[in-house]
Amino acid sequence: MHRLLLVGNPNVGKSVLFKNLTGRYVTVSNYPGTTVEVVRARTQLGDRSVEVIDTPGINDLAAANDETRVTSAMLERHPEDVIVQVADARNLRRALLLTMQLAELDRPMVLVLNMIDELAAKGGRIDTAALAEELGIPVVRTVAVRNHGTERLAAALPRAAIPSLENVEVPHGAGEYERNRLRLARINELMEGTYSLRQPARPSLAVRLGFWAMHPVKGLLLGALALLGVFWFVGLFGAGTLVDLLETAVFEQRLSPAAITTLDKMLPFPHAHAIEAVPGSVAVPLSPVHEVELFAWQTEALRTGYTLTPGAELTAGQATRRFVHDFLVGEYGALTMALSYALAIVLPIVTTFFLLFSLLEDSGYLPRMAILVNRVFRLMGLNGKAVLPMVLGLGCDTMATMTTRILETRKERIVTTMLLALAIPCSAQLGVLLAMMAALSPAAALAWMLLMAAVLLTVGRLTARVFPGETSEFLLEIPPLRRPQLGNVWLKTRSRIGWYLREVIPLFVAGTAVLFLLDKLRLLERIASFGQPLVVGWLGLPREMANALLVGFLRRDFGAVYVLDAATGPEAILDPLQIFVAMVTITLFMPCFANFLMIAKEHGQRVAWAMTAFIFPFAFLVGGLALRVGRWLSGI
Amino acid sequence: MAERYLTCPLCGFGFEPEDALCAHGCPLRSHCALVRCPACDYEFAEQPGRGSWWRRLLGSGTAEATDGECEALSVDQLRAGQTASVLSLSGSRNKLAVFGLVPGIEITLLQRRPACVVQVGETELALDREIARRILVRRPGGPPAEPEGILGTGGG
Repeated sequence: MHRLLLVGNPNVGKSVLFKNLTGRYVTVSNYPGTTVEVVRARTQLGDRSVEVIDTPGINDLAAANDETRVTSAMLERHPEDVIVQVADARNLRRALLLTMQLAELDRPMVLVLNMIDELAAKGGRIDTAALAEELGIPVVRTVAVRNHGTERLAAALPRAAIPSLENVEVPHGAGEYERNRLRLARINELMEGTYSLRQPARPSLAVRLGFWAMHPVKGLLLGALALLGVFWFVGLFGAGTLVDLLETAVFEQRLSPAAITTLDKMLPFPHAHAIEAVPGSVAVPLSPVHEVELFAWQTEALRTGYTLTPGAELTAGQATRRFVHDFLVGEYGALTMALSYALAIVLPIVTTFFLLFSLLEDSGYLPRMAILVNRVFRLMGLNGKAVLPMVLGLGCDTMATMTTRILETRKERIVTTMLLALAIPCSAQLGVLLAMMAALSPAAALAWMLLMAAVLLTVGRLTARVFPGETSEFLLEIPPLRRPQLGNVWLKTRSRIGWYLREVIPLFVAGTAVLFLLDKLRLLERIASFGQPLVVGWLGLPREMANALLVGFLRRDFGAVYVLDAATGPEAILDPLQIFVAMVTITLFMPCFANFLMIAKEHGQRVAWAMTAFIFPFAFLVGGLALRVGRWLSGI
Repeated sequence: MAERYLTCPLCGFGFEPEDALCAHGCPLRSHCALVRCPACDYEFAEQPGRGSWWRRLLGSGTAEATDGECEALSVDQLRAGQTASVLSLSGSRNKLAVFGLVPGIEITLLQRRPACVVQVGETELALDREIARRILVRRPGGPPAEPEGILGTGGG
C-alpha cells in the first residue's frame, strides 16, 4: 500500500478527510465542485509513509466530461493503489452506485460513511457490519469536520479488500443508463437490510431557509440582503474604516516617516522632506454618507515629497544614494507606494471580503443562486450552473477560470471565462470599487451595476454567437444549507490571504519598480503625452491617470487602487464623473497577467489572445461612451 | 429537439413515438393522429398540448387536468410538495440515473419556479423545465398527504 485515492460523489467531505489524514489544508466548501484539481500529500500511517491523493468528486465513473476526466485518469494511472471511497451517509443510495462502479475495477477498497452525525440527526441508521459483510470491504464511520473516526479509518486501511459483490448481469449492447438502472435495483436490495430513515414531521429552520433562498420572491430579497451585508462589511467597514486606520494611522503617520528618517540617515544627500499635518479618524460607517466618529486626531508627519537643498551640487555618490532612496521611499517607492497599497489598502479589503465569502460558501447558499439566475443566464448561452464560477470570480478570477471545468460544454466554458475576464471584479478590485462607490452617489453606484449587467448580457450573447455549440441542460445538485464551521471559515480565509499576499506583493513591487524606472528615465512623461489622446481626449481623465491604466494592464486592482488614491486621497484630482469613467474602464480590463496564463492553459493560446485583443479596446470604448452619456445627462 | 414521450392510457407503458407500433410503413404516416401502444396494441390519440402559454404563466401550479384518466404526468405538472413515483425518463437519462433518479423511485417536487427542484432520496436537484417535462410520473392518488409537509411522506 503506497497510495490512497480518495474518491467519492461531489460535496461529501473528501477534502476534509484529506486534511485529517495528512494535515494539509485544501479549500473546503459546501457546494459540489470545490476541488477541480488533484491534490497530493505524504503522511505517516502507522509505520509506513503513504501518499494520499484527493480527487474531484464524481457521480458517474463512465461519464466523459472534464469534471470526471481528472478523477478517471487518476484511477487509471495508479492501478495498484487502494481506493478510499468517501460517502455521504445520508445519501447511501448514490454512494453505493459509485461503489458498484468502482467494484468493477477489482481493486482493494475501503468505504467511509462520512457525516454519520447528520444521518443520525435525521433519524437514519446504517447497519455498518451488515453492509461490510454484503460488500466484502471494510466500512468506516466518520464525522470528518470534527475529525472523528480518522484513526478508525487508518486502522481499517490494511484490511482493504477487493469487493466481493458480484457484478450486475448486463444484457449485450446495453448502454450506461441500463447498467446504472440494474445497479440501482441491486442497491435497493442491499439497502433493504442495512439502511433506515425516518423523516422528521416538521422541516428544520435550515431546511426552511434553504427553501426561501430558492423562492422567486423571498430568494431575491435574501439575495439583496446578502449583497447589502457584503457592501457594508467590505465596502464601508473594510475599505473605509480599516483602510483609513491602516493607511493613515499606520503607514502615513508612523511607518513611512520612520522609513524616510532611517533611510535619510543611512543614505545622506542634501534634501529636506515636506512636513504636513495628517488627519486620522476612526468611525463606524452607517451608510455611504453617514458615520459615527469615535476618535479623530492629527499628527505632523514627514511626506515623500522633498526638495533638494538650494545651491547644493550632488556628487556621483550622492546621486546613487538618491536613486536608492527614491526607489525605496520616493513617490514611486517600494515601501511608500507598493507596500502601502498592498498592505494598507488591499489587505483589509480582501480580508473582510474573504471572511464573508467563506461564510457564504460554507452555508450552501451559492448553488441556490443558480436557480434564481438560470433564466437570465440562458440569454447568454449559459445555464444557472455558471453562476458558481462567476461568483467565485468575485474572489479570484484566475481560480474561477479553472472552476469553469464544472460546466459541461466548451461553449459554456468559453463564454464564462470571457465574462470573468471582462466584467467580474475580483476581491481586491471589488473592495476598491465598493470604496469608490461609497465616495460617489448611490445613483452612480447603481449606474455602474446596471452598466456591468448590460455589458455581461451583451458580451455574453455575442460570445455565445461567435462560439457555436449547445448549451447544456440545467441540472444541479443543491447541497443542504448548513451552519458554517467557524474553524473552517477561519482556515480558508487565512489560507486565501496568505496566497493573496504571496501573489500580490511581488507584482505590486514589480509594477511600482516599472513606474519608478519609467519616471527616472523620463519615459513616464512621454507615455503620458503619447496616451494623451486616449486618456484625456477619449476618456476625459487627467493625464496622470495614464499611470493607473498602465499598471492596470499588469493587475487591474493595482490600477483601481491608483484610481481610488487619486479620487479620495489627500490630493484628489478627479471629479465624480471622472471617477465613474475610470471605475468603468478599469473594471473591464483583464484582471491580471496570471489570469491570461490560466486562460491560455485552459483554452489555448489562441483563445487567450483573442480575448485580450477584444477586452482592452472594449474597455476603453465603454469608458469613453460612459463619459459622453454622463456629460449629456449632466447637460440636461 | 423536444422529445415527445407517450404513455399508454390503458396499460401505462411509456414509449417514444418512433416505437409506436403503427409508425412504420403505414400509408397515413404523420397525417394520422392515433398511435398504437407497442405493449398492449391499444390505439389512442396523442396527448393534447399543455394549454396556452398564459395558462401556464398564471396557472396556480396545479396540473391542468387534460383528461381525467391520464395516469402519467410530467414532473412539472405536479403541485409543489407532491410526491409521485417515476414511470419513465427520456432524453439524457443517465444524467438523472447517476443521481439515483430512475423509474420506480419516489420523487417530490419541491418548487416549480424559477426552476423545478425535485428531491430524490436525500438529494435535491434543480432542473430546467425541459428536463422536468421528460420525467413522467404516476399521478398521485388524491390530495397530497400533508399540504405543508414539504418533505413529503417518508414512511417509517
